[in-house]
Amino acid sequence: MIEIKNVTKKYGNKKALDNVSFTVEDGDIFAFIGHNGAGKTTLIKSIVGIHDFDEGDILINGISIKNEPVECKKLMAYVPDNPETYEHMKAIDYINFICDMYEIDTNEREKNIKKYAKIFNMEDKLNDTIDSYSHGMKQKIVLISALAHNPKILIMDEPFVGLDPKAVYDIKEILNEMVKENKIVFYSTHILDVAEKLCSRVAIIKNGKLIKSGSMKEIKGDKSLEKVFMELEEK
Amino acid sequence: MKKTYSLIKACMTSDMNLFKLKTKNKKSSKLVPLFIALYLMFMIWGSANSMFEKLAPTHMQYILLSLFAFSISILTIMEGIYKAGPLIFNCKDDDLLLSLPIKRKTILFIRILKFYIFELLYNSLFLLPIMIAYIRWAENITWTYFLTSIIMLLFLPIIPIILSCILGAITSSLTSRFKYKNAAQIILSMILLVGILLISFNSENIMNYLIKHANGINDLIIKIYYPAGIYAKLITNFNIKELLLFIIINIVILTLSIYILSKFYFKINSRLKKITTSKKTKINNLIIKQRSKTYSLIKKELNTFFKTPVFIINSGFALVLFILTAIIITYKFDSIIPILTSKEGGLGLSKELLNNNISILILVLISLTAYMTSITNSVISLEGKNINILKSLPIKIKTILMSKIYSCLIITTPVLLIGNIILFIKFKINILESLLLIVLSILIPLVSHFIGIIVNLKYPKLDAENSAEVVKQSTSSFISVMIGMILALLSIVIITKIIGKINSSIFLIIVTIIYIIINTILYLYLIKKGTIEFNKLTV
Repeated sequence: MIEIKNVTKKYGNKKALDNVSFTVEDGDIFAFIGHNGAGKTTLIKSIVGIHDFDEGDILINGISIKNEPVECKKLMAYVPDNPETYEHMKAIDYINFICDMYEIDTNEREKNIKKYAKIFNMEDKLNDTIDSYSHGMKQKIVLISALAHNPKILIMDEPFVGLDPKAVYDIKEILNEMVKENKIVFYSTHILDVAEKLCSRVAIIKNGKLIKSGSMKEIKGDKSLEKVFMELEEK
Repeated sequence: MKKTYSLIKACMTSDMNLFKLKTKNKKSSKLVPLFIALYLMFMIWGSANSMFEKLAPTHMQYILLSLFAFSISILTIMEGIYKAGPLIFNCKDDDLLLSLPIKRKTILFIRILKFYIFELLYNSLFLLPIMIAYIRWAENITWTYFLTSIIMLLFLPIIPIILSCILGAITSSLTSRFKYKNAAQIILSMILLVGILLISFNSENIMNYLIKHANGINDLIIKIYYPAGIYAKLITNFNIKELLLFIIINIVILTLSIYILSKFYFKINSRLKKITTSKKTKINNLIIKQRSKTYSLIKKELNTFFKTPVFIINSGFALVLFILTAIIITYKFDSIIPILTSKEGGLGLSKELLNNNISILILVLISLTAYMTSITNSVISLEGKNINILKSLPIKIKTILMSKIYSCLIITTPVLLIGNIILFIKFKINILESLLLIVLSILIPLVSHFIGIIVNLKYPKLDAENSAEVVKQSTSSFISVMIGMILALLSIVIITKIIGKINSSIFLIIVTIIYIIINTILYLYLIKKGTIEFNKLTV
């Protein structure tokens, strides 16, 4: 479970996050939506321990990211909006590096790397250096490295950007599989129709403030998520 | 013109943050580089005064200005050779700039301009204090001295940076044809650097000869290096035509070089961007194996080091020099003795003292190499946006920072050990002193590595356009190099004061204890404050 409790983050005098609170339960696929600069990436980076925040707390399975960051990070995998990797490394070395940080044993990582490399059609490309890859291929490497350590919580920032349609389809399948195992998927997106179909819960953020949060059914009612989002944006 | 101005402004903004006091960093931390720069300028001013004093009876004070102009130009070329390639070619903003409606010559001009501004600042650090000191010692100062000096300060970097750009273009062009571009670039740059170093050593002999043979000295210097010679000529005998000619020559060289380089620039750039992929390898043939966190982090660090030519050349040059010096000492020790025993310019040691304290001189060599090899001053900045990867992983910050230190030790220790062994065999150093020197070969670089990483955490540059900006033009590298220079000078001064007054073995034991204490303090500081600074890093 992820508990975001009254989180405030300031950049100088500007509040990037203003007293944000909500909870993500086990087994949720949670969509986090908002306009550009609303504070989505700031909150995601705060959850995964990249950013510090000024007030409030974030609990991962009851553990505070502020007090015990390493223990919290062991439970999570983070996929950034831009596929940030060590580009001079071979893809297989990068994935091994990430698995080493999560102390994944040889058998488990071998099984997972093979599984996800096959799904993303990267099996015979893992021996190349990442700087030779396209944006989409880099994104696939980031996804493989995130999934290879079998995280309980998957946090993603705009995961579908730059991916080909088959990869998007495959991710959706993987996310559904994770939910069946009672894991958490939390991601930010601008592709509202995908979020509407895929996610069980949603939160909408505007200018750093949480304006709506709840189950997808509660939030959208009979309307489309796009329609609800546009109405909230115009208020 | 408006377009060029906007482009210059956009390209320079991030770099010029170095000189802004109003940033999110505290004013005090911005003042540190300024203080160090002023301190360095004060030291140079002091040294220049004593040199002018020695030259005053010969009425040839102006020669010192020429000599410094010449030496600084050589330094700029040496630095520029391996800096020019990454500063000008294969930059992060290539795609953006090439997609805009801007002439290619303009893009090249902006890149060279950035290079010029930084060299101008570095040159000013050394030249300004000498120019100021000259005012006191000159026999006749008129407005023409100030005019000439300002023009010289502004125009002196042009020819060296153009030469560096041409050499950088040649090395980049040659290496872009190789499969292993980085390795080829490192080897070529090292050969060029050692070559220029040898030439400059000989030039120093020529200059010394010139000081002794005063007749027609200006003409002779002009023949060796026109800008340095013309400076002395204009100070002693000002001629507006010659000053204008100097300006015109520089502008013509600059314009022509930009025009010619722009013809090849994009061919080289696209070749450098060409990607080589390895043969398709089946997943079953790949190595998938668990390693410890520290092992994996060290492997990553070494990978970054060996894949960044400017980084390896910058930090590896002193190590290469150490090995070369050890070999030269082994074969030509007799010719070095006069330098060490000379009271003017040397250490002024007696032969007997020298023979009894060889191990202390090896210690001086180790100290100089260690303080000139500041690898860690860039290790945080080189992470760039990838710092977020490290921050999101379940690793203690202490493990991240220490793995960076260990990987630097893995680079420096073997080289120092090889040099040590060569010197131990040559001078038959006893076992105790050999062991102490080996321990010090780890402890002294460790101090340099700790200082480097502490400074880099305080002054990170995570948004650089290329690795050369981080390695050569960042506040962190500037401060670390300055601290290294001060520590190296301090080591020499302390050792020459103490040498002969204390048994060399006892001296080495004391030094070892002192370094253990310093390292412990630096380690504790890094773990406590470094962790806080690391947490503050954002991109």
